Amino acid sequence: MIKLTRRQALLTGVATAATTASMPFAASAQDGGFISVIVNDPANPYWFTEGEVAKATAEELGYSATVSAHRGDTNVESNLVDAAITNNAVAIILDPANADGSVGVVRKATDAGIPVFLVNAEINESGIAIGQLVSNNAQGAALGAIAWQEIVGEEAKFVEFYGNPADNNAATRSNGYNTVLSQYPGLEKVAEEVANWDRTQGYNKMQSIMQATPEFDAVISGNDEMALGAIAAMKEAGRLDGVTVGGFDGSPDAVEAIKAGEMAYTVLQPVAVFSREAVIQADHYIKNGSAMVSEEKQLFDCLLITPDNVGNYTAAFTLSG
Amino acid sequence: MTDETSKMTDTPNASQAKPKGAFDIGHLILEGRAFFALIAIIAVFSFLSPNYATVSNFLIMMNQSAIFGLLAVGMVLVILNGGIDLSVGSVLGLAGVFAGFLMQGVELQWAGVILYPPVWAVVVLTIGLGAFVGYVNGVLIAIFKVPAFVATLGSLYVARGVALLMTNGLTFNNLDGSPELGNTGFNWLGFNRLAGVPIGVWILITVATLAGLLLTRTAFGRWLYASGGNARAADLSGVPVKRVQITVYMLSGMCAAIAGLVLSSQLTSAGPNAGFTYELTAIAAVVVGGASLMGGRGTVRGTLLGTFVIVFLSAGLVITGVSFYWQTVFTGAVIVLAVMLNSIQYGGLGKRS
Amino acid sequence: MTEAVLAARGISKQFGAVEALRNVNFDVHRGEVTTLFGENGAGKSTLMKILSGVHQPTSGQILLEGQPVRLTSTVDAANLGISIIHQELSLAPNMTVRDNIFMGREIMRRTGVDFAEEERQVRELMRDLEEDIDPRTLVEDLRLGQQQIVEIARALSVNANILIMDEPTSALSAAEVEVLFKVIRDLKARGVSIVYISHHLEEALTITDHAVVLRDGAMTAAAPRADIDLEWIVRNMVGENFDLGSPPQDHRMGAPALSIEGLTVPQESGTGRAVDALDLEVRAGEIVCIYGLMGAGRTELMECVAGRLPQASGAIRLHGRDVSRMTIAERIAAGLVLVPEDRQRDGLVQTMTVGRNLSLASIRDFTRGVFTDRTSEDEIIASSIKTVTVKTDGPDAPISSLSGGNQQKVVIGKMLATDPSVVLLDEPSRGIDVGAKAEVFRILAERASEGLAVVFTTSEVSECLSIAHRIIVMRRGKIAAEFSQDTTKEAIMTASGEAVVA
Repeated sequence: MIKLTRRQALLTGVATAATTASMPFAASAQDGGFISVIVNDPANPYWFTEGEVAKATAEELGYSATVSAHRGDTNVESNLVDAAITNNAVAIILDPANADGSVGVVRKATDAGIPVFLVNAEINESGIAIGQLVSNNAQGAALGAIAWQEIVGEEAKFVEFYGNPADNNAATRSNGYNTVLSQYPGLEKVAEEVANWDRTQGYNKMQSIMQATPEFDAVISGNDEMALGAIAAMKEAGRLDGVTVGGFDGSPDAVEAIKAGEMAYTVLQPVAVFSREAVIQADHYIKNGSAMVSEEKQLFDCLLITPDNVGNYTAAFTLSG
Repeated sequence: MTDETSKMTDTPNASQAKPKGAFDIGHLILEGRAFFALIAIIAVFSFLSPNYATVSNFLIMMNQSAIFGLLAVGMVLVILNGGIDLSVGSVLGLAGVFAGFLMQGVELQWAGVILYPPVWAVVVLTIGLGAFVGYVNGVLIAIFKVPAFVATLGSLYVARGVALLMTNGLTFNNLDGSPELGNTGFNWLGFNRLAGVPIGVWILITVATLAGLLLTRTAFGRWLYASGGNARAADLSGVPVKRVQITVYMLSGMCAAIAGLVLSSQLTSAGPNAGFTYELTAIAAVVVGGASLMGGRGTVRGTLLGTFVIVFLSAGLVITGVSFYWQTVFTGAVIVLAVMLNSIQYGGLGKRS
Repeated sequence: MTEAVLAARGISKQFGAVEALRNVNFDVHRGEVTTLFGENGAGKSTLMKILSGVHQPTSGQILLEGQPVRLTSTVDAANLGISIIHQELSLAPNMTVRDNIFMGREIMRRTGVDFAEEERQVRELMRDLEEDIDPRTLVEDLRLGQQQIVEIARALSVNANILIMDEPTSALSAAEVEVLFKVIRDLKARGVSIVYISHHLEEALTITDHAVVLRDGAMTAAAPRADIDLEWIVRNMVGENFDLGSPPQDHRMGAPALSIEGLTVPQESGTGRAVDALDLEVRAGEIVCIYGLMGAGRTELMECVAGRLPQASGAIRLHGRDVSRMTIAERIAAGLVLVPEDRQRDGLVQTMTVGRNLSLASIRDFTRGVFTDRTSEDEIIASSIKTVTVKTDGPDAPISSLSGGNQQKVVIGKMLATDPSVVLLDEPSRGIDVGAKAEVFRILAERASEGLAVVFTTSEVSECLSIAHRIIVMRRGKIAAEFSQDTTKEAIMTASGEAVVA
């Protein structure tokens, strides 16, 4: 029930009301052609927003579009790109499954004459995709770490949750945190766990940490899901009081947690912004045959959501004002 | 004596006297259901999308079928034996990573040199690794009597874990090799075409042909059908039941390793998470192809058709833009329908006395 | 004559092509023991399964207290007061005695199962049966005889009016049989009608009030106890006129083909010896019959010689060559083959065709290099179908389309196709009709006259006296007696322990 409500809220946040069931062949009457949007897993509100914003923007600009999901499997990603080629897509908006593993599929699409715009994650090779539009993870991590340190102070024992190691963002964010925090010798990291961006794993890992490490007073997490899992575990054990938890992503659930006073802050990734921007750039490329922004790698700065500005969070991953 | 016998032989057995006509048509559709399902899928999607029934799309779908087809051909051998191999998805991932590892060069600490094995050696060693995992499975099952489900579930975890350990969770990207090291050509497997058909498809055709010959024309094939149908009877008839069992798991592991090579070549990268849950797709393809999970019944031809049904269906759903969730529902429904038809076919024909 | 509480009228039953029962009339007398005699495969168990609702008759009627009834399930039968103790134990070994006895009809209270009450009732039953079994023991921890007692206790616990006992004593010790008979007399006194089936003819005679004899699915005789004796039963069971053949005479026996010296085989379950230091020599062209009761060690002997079971000690020589370390395949190649007892479980591959089953043991003979040679396989199949006279639509017919007798011929044909010099057959006539039986024995006699050494086991006395040159009686893993072909049925049955009251 709650989930349903949230999903509806997400949908209304998307600029245009998108009809999820529309099919490209049905919509091929629209002049612009077909844009294939490939995201990771729409079961996650972050990627759901990413896909829906891109699709809505494409339809706004006169294209037909579908959102499909590779769920982190490079083979599925490859098959989806094949389908896009078969459907004569005019552009592909892709959230790559794997920094190394997705290079091949991007090349395949480019070789077939379809411009590819990468969103959210990068690939480890430049010059193939027309644009790589990602959050400025380093800036976001530094932003989060500074906010976190201000709340925690100079003396603390803390736990870090690390995302999926196959994803560059996990390392980028962790490095960003540690660059800031290592300047305070009183901050001692008592545990670091890989929880693969996952809430359940965050929950389980936190339970283990509480067994092994009785004393800690702050948690910094590579994303919101892992942080929320850790919060749930600590709440269950009655250990949440006095523990500062910082997240990353700015998901609706995290925002709720901030409102409830369980999470101190989260770093908002401008997914709605760069997802829309990718489609606009694709439109420009289709119409003019050249890139709108000459730089391939474009970083979009992250914003901080704290109890002070949480009221400005108007729609999923959107901070207005 | 001879006359009498031939007379007896000519007399139709009471239980065999079945009405002809209508029954035979139903029987034909039941027997060839995977084939008819495939025709129906192609017809429906060709109608829904102008891009579906094109040569290039068929080649793409064939290429996608290569991976699952290779796994399914190995799987059908195991299922004919009355077993199951849950480790093939993980072995696929491990094989890709192992090939990637070899392509990066193997450093020999004691000799202080880095060996760059040529591509043919990488292929042989990787297939050998698949055979080794299969051998361990086979020995656990045949000699130590570990149930196949449990033994291969164990190797599912172990193989995946080893793949993650070898790469520390990362992906090997540089599989091209370099001319001065003499190890180029890995991408040929996945990217090149022979007579317009992708190499992966040729590999599937070759492996499937060999497996088909193995099943229908060799003593081993007969042993496999017999020990899958009734291991005790096969044993008492002099069939080396344990050797057959170990061999099928080795063959399944080798097929998975070949699939891993083709996939990492197609994607030009080898990630430790490749092939996650593919064992289930392979089992589904085998079942849709008409094999019985109880063993003893099934063919390579049916398995290939089953693979095409699953791949052509999911490709069609993607091309027509059906949502991911519906794709999952459709695939599940096809599998359940196939198993139900299997029960009708084997339950209806088998009689108990 | 007492009235019939349960009566079967004109019952026939067909399983596929096999006619198990033909127009059988059968009366169960109130408060008395009615014993059903008959050889294996005569249809006794089928008739009992029809009376207890397991099977439905193809035609005919069942009358309970004179009223026609339809028994569509065992629950139906139980509700009408008919209870059966099956020949095969139907207990769940992983559950306790108490839970087994009340399985499916647990005594319920509001809070769940009333284990205390169940336990009290079980203790009472066990007291009646004079058996000291704790209700909370796991069934798998009990001896086979005690498990049989539990099975009997379960049947008694439903307060049946009619109790069918299918071979209840086969696993019991002499003392336990005594107790069971006392219980049966008590039940009779309470007005319970009992149907009793046993292979131990004399044992059955001590308890029965009426005897009914079945042969090949038809009732051949029925009489009250006062009018019959052992000889009457045997005569009616076996029949006087049917000839299963006679030993081939017109050839000379050759050198010893198979010699077994001091062979000991451990029991598969638990301790003890299934075969105990047994010596046996069989010559080329000789037909030896091994007779014995269930559990005498016949099957273990056969399976050990064929290589299926390992021996504890002793030697097995084939034409003077020790084969006891060889695999089954090597023994087949050397010329020693086994036709197993249970053809469904051990003999046939149900998923393959008639032809594929026939050629299964001789695949190596038609493999040329890597591939099998279809032409020579077809020749082997065609000649096998001819020599063992299998009635089939053709080599491509499914094996399940054949009748039991023809399936058995396929199993025999499969092994004969390997061109053996010694063939072992474990109960080759089990569950096949008389015509097929005679054909099987004719084939064996024919091959023996060509020099094949044949060893077969049977639990039907009449078969011992058909084609065998020599009859070995096994008892508790040892040879109890050895007869030539001019012995009598009574002598054989005495030696096996069958005709002696336990």
